[in-house]
Amino acid sequence: MTPKINFFSMRGQFIYGCAAILAVATAFPFFWMVSTSFKPLQEIFVFPPHFFPAEFTLKNFERLFEQTRFLTYFKNSVFVSFTTVMLTMTIGSAGAYSLTRFKFYGREKVASLILFSYMFAPIMIVIPFYVLIKKIGLANTHTALIMAYTAFCLPFSLWLLRTFFQSIPLALEKAALIDGASRLEAVVYVVLPLALPGIIATGIFTFILAWNDYIFVRILITSDELKTLSVGIADLYNATVIDWGMIMSGSMLITVPVLVFFVFIQRYLIAGWGAGAMKG
Amino acid sequence: MIAPSVLLICSLLVYPVVYGIWLSLFKKHSFFPDQRFVGLANYAYLMKNSDFWMSVWYGTVYSVSTIFFQIVIGIIAALIVNEAFKGRNFVRGVILFPYVIPTVVAIILWKWLLNNQFGLVNYLLLAVGIIDDPISWMGMDHIMTSLILISVWEFFPFVVLSVLARMQTIPPVLYKAAKVDGAGAFRRFIHVTLPQIRNVLFVVILLRSIWMFTKFDTVWLLTQGGGAEKYIRTLPVYAYMRTFMYYQAGMGSALAVIMFIILVAATTIYFKMFRREEEI
Repeated sequence: MTPKINFFSMRGQFIYGCAAILAVATAFPFFWMVSTSFKPLQEIFVFPPHFFPAEFTLKNFERLFEQTRFLTYFKNSVFVSFTTVMLTMTIGSAGAYSLTRFKFYGREKVASLILFSYMFAPIMIVIPFYVLIKKIGLANTHTALIMAYTAFCLPFSLWLLRTFFQSIPLALEKAALIDGASRLEAVVYVVLPLALPGIIATGIFTFILAWNDYIFVRILITSDELKTLSVGIADLYNATVIDWGMIMSGSMLITVPVLVFFVFIQRYLIAGWGAGAMKG
Repeated sequence: MIAPSVLLICSLLVYPVVYGIWLSLFKKHSFFPDQRFVGLANYAYLMKNSDFWMSVWYGTVYSVSTIFFQIVIGIIAALIVNEAFKGRNFVRGVILFPYVIPTVVAIILWKWLLNNQFGLVNYLLLAVGIIDDPISWMGMDHIMTSLILISVWEFFPFVVLSVLARMQTIPPVLYKAAKVDGAGAFRRFIHVTLPQIRNVLFVVILLRSIWMFTKFDTVWLLTQGGGAEKYIRTLPVYAYMRTFMYYQAGMGSALAVIMFIILVAATTIYFKMFRREEEI
């Protein structure tokens, strides 16, 4: 689309001005995080503050890796998030496929069950969830986390995947079946490849939810070596002297994967957020 | 094939909610298995407890003000990025960042920006001469303001995305007709844009209200239970504290149930008041 706003008109200047304010207000905190994480300690506290590091250093990252368990937290986050994605996508795709292809008793009930789960916020689930997890002896395990995330991601995943499966014409599968393919072959070779972009997008939403979560880790995990990034970083605060350089470099490293994935799902944001993929 | 999904959602989402209601009738230690049936005693205790009513008040202040500012700023931002200016796609992408990043990072960024000694915000306010002494953003007088500021920053992108998507489908003919009739920009917004985005606003306000009212991590992380925590102790934080600091799982569950009841009541009233014949 070609720009139609004339920069030299009053209206044009007003719009460019507002757009600039919006961009600065949302992006500046991130710029400041990056800038701080590359500054040496003494420069971080300089008055007046430097917008760009006068002296560029990686010392903050070194301290982060040497003095904290950042790498362990990172590995835990990767493990928990990816397992959740795999599990949710497998169960969710099977469920969504059957919702669009088979007629069975209670199909509509499943849809309303999904919508009802909108009303459940983590804080309302987490207390009884914790007591139950404790009862079955899974407290302080990654399994508990994965169970919680899968349960939370399934409703919106089903909802999203259903719309993607719906958009694949039934005729394609019928053609494959007539050509002698089995139902499974028809699904694997015809339906799944076509639904793949949708499945990947849903997977990314799931990943971001699991990666960003704080409350379930806070409550379900007590050992330091099992913590994931969000709680790990939040706990760096409890030190007597707050090492801002180190905390900023850690924050930057948590944010990067999310922003990279975010770029891939821009097209699906409306569908995803509408289905409750962020719930917050 | 839908069975695994239904089973998981029921056992990990619906069952905990039901179990939570059951649990709220007990005096139950959070870690040890002993429990005693007390009927509605937890609720009776809370009704007479001033901390509880304080948290209801703080929760209301927090939700109402953040929702108001999110909606207003969100609509203005959507109007701006709906215009055809250079760099529009860049601004549209950047504007969504605050909503996508982990809450922990959002809080850390703002704690650094609002730091009373070395924070950039105080520095800029002092330099421009708006204030004479640094503001203690995390102190008891300003913590609610800081919390609202951070929350609006973090969550307004959801409003932008939802409203923008709807705005893009408004036929340009309507605006041309209004212009011909001599309507100015403000009247065009009131008489053309607003009626068109009404339905999407209905849903957005509903979802944002549910999510802000049950928001735990943003509020909790700002103080992590220390400092001026008392002055932003909303219902979700109070439920968490009862369960994991006073170890009263029954009381915590009762608070979660109360939250749920308030939500259902408010949602019902909201639907009665604003929803006309048309479907969402």
